[in-house]
Amino acid sequence: MPCALLGDRASGKTTFLGLLYSAQVKYGTGVQDDFRFHAPIPSLNLMSAVYEGMKDGRFPSATLKEEITELGFVFGYLRRVVGKLPYYIRQQNWVHPFSTLRFSAYDVSGEDIEEFIETGIASRPLIQQLLKSVVVVVLVDCSKMTTEVDTAGYKKMLRYDSTVAKLLVAFQTYKKQEYDRLKDSGVKADPPRIYPAFVLAKFDTLRDDVLARLGLHRGFPEGKRQRKEYAEALLRVFVPQTLSQIRGGKIAGVSMDRAAYFLSWVRTEQQEGMEPVGQPKIVRTGFAPEGGGEPDFAYDEYVEFIEHFREIAHKIPDEVLEAEKFQAQALARSA
Amino acid sequence: MPNIVIVGDRESGKTTFLAFLYTAQVRSGSDRADDFRFHVAYESIDEISGVFQQVMSGNFPDSAAKEGIRSISFHLGYRRSGWGIWSRLRSPGWTPGAPASLQFILLRNLEDEMDRFRKGSSLGNAMLRDVLGSEAIAILVDGRKLARAGEDRQLGPMGKYDGAVEALLTALQRSRGRGSGTSLHPLFVFTKFDAVDPGALRAAAVEGEPPEVRKAGLRTAYGEALLDHNLPNTMARVRAPEPHGMRFTTPSYFFSWVRTEAAAPGRRERIRLRRGEGGGWEPDYSKDEYLALLECLWRIARDAGG
Repeated sequence: MPCALLGDRASGKTTFLGLLYSAQVKYGTGVQDDFRFHAPIPSLNLMSAVYEGMKDGRFPSATLKEEITELGFVFGYLRRVVGKLPYYIRQQNWVHPFSTLRFSAYDVSGEDIEEFIETGIASRPLIQQLLKSVVVVVLVDCSKMTTEVDTAGYKKMLRYDSTVAKLLVAFQTYKKQEYDRLKDSGVKADPPRIYPAFVLAKFDTLRDDVLARLGLHRGFPEGKRQRKEYAEALLRVFVPQTLSQIRGGKIAGVSMDRAAYFLSWVRTEQQEGMEPVGQPKIVRTGFAPEGGGEPDFAYDEYVEFIEHFREIAHKIPDEVLEAEKFQAQALARSA
Repeated sequence: MPNIVIVGDRESGKTTFLAFLYTAQVRSGSDRADDFRFHVAYESIDEISGVFQQVMSGNFPDSAAKEGIRSISFHLGYRRSGWGIWSRLRSPGWTPGAPASLQFILLRNLEDEMDRFRKGSSLGNAMLRDVLGSEAIAILVDGRKLARAGEDRQLGPMGKYDGAVEALLTALQRSRGRGSGTSLHPLFVFTKFDAVDPGALRAAAVEGEPPEVRKAGLRTAYGEALLDHNLPNTMARVRAPEPHGMRFTTPSYFFSWVRTEAAAPGRRERIRLRRGEGGGWEPDYSKDEYLALLECLWRIARDAGG
């Protein structure tokens, strides 16, 4: 099932994917073997190159990012029933042992999306694929969160908010139309649902004056409700249209109420009393029996991110079947 | 979907009015209470979010934005009352699938449109057909143009506007025919009320600021006093008994203002921004008035089965 990862230019998408790769390498090779990760060769090459660079303390270079236009990866979660089967049976393809989610990363400032926003015509395959997404992950760049009105960062955030809000409305409109079409054709389908998730990227760069102004402390709280409140306090100020249109999905007949919130940060070297020249260097963990020399990043948040989609992945196939049933009926009718 | 027509004189702040209406929705639709939700129609989001960006940057909508906006559609929902604590826990507290929908139609040049209409050439105009079939009309009254004592009102800036609005209301009534039994909600919105001349208030025998949103009776008296003095023909039309045809409901009154920073050499007049409740910026505008207006519009849409 297609899932979208939306982010602005230079919002930390590539770094996020590199760290996700790092997290899945560690998490996906555990003894439980109930999560698997796959990516097409070009994406895998890029993600592993980013990961290798981070192990050397470097952020991904601009040229590396430009090498590839379409980035994607697949999450696979072992189905519960299948998990109880003998090992050799569950390895058989006919068992369909894994529920999968296929993520694609989109640059919202890219040519395809800009054209779609301007014209409203979803003619390009990339946009058609985007609109079919059932999971929408929105990256919000915390380094652009500023309360200085006359700055480029403030204006960029306003523009990003508008673009994401427009895309969300497009998703909702598309899903509602699909649902109505299914209903009109006599196919019983559940009301449409989109699963949104927000990643507060570069969380470590969030400025103290911004936090103070919003009455927030540094550090993301633990509990689910507290996480939601903390994240929404930031989103309410910096991407209010996006938040209002996520909630407004219910009004449009497309529930997007089950939003989840995650952080992404990677620790960088701080020079005492000096502004770093060029890109800061990534801090790496020390060597230890369980591994080391890894970038020091929000590993637990990435594991949370991976686990969040387990239930969703198991649930979605029913909805896919409905859509496939409808397509089969439509084909039979036209034949 | 019920239509709400927005009419106003040139430069009376029609696009700014819509921008603030959207701003109020975005703020309420993203606040902590989560009692109000809204969805913008796909056809409208590009234009309205463009003007939102402008006002949130402290700028008034530019002429390109004004030209772009002709009609805007919203779907509104308030949390069901009577669910108490359960309304916060249960998603059915919203009325899924049955929101109140509204389409705003902007009549840019009322006087020109009415001139054309009088000549009988505009009935084929699709927009005018929507206008004639509308459920409510938001009549924008530019606060800066209210007449002072001693001014000839009919020759003043409000005189022509009064005639055009009265002509539109008459056309609306006639278009529904006798025995139609329908009603139209007139909503008077005084725009740029921060720039109103105190002399104009004195001329209408009202004083000071308009009464608060909660004081409905006092607001009606305040609004009526201003309009009886400035739009007498329009008010006469609204009040005229119509036992067989379309009738006007009791008018509602709203007052829109925004604090501004004066123009300086090389810089246009700007919207002053203030700190909102969550710590972010928002235009320093009459938010409570817009929230009250939203609720009024939602009731109209709900009653019309939108």
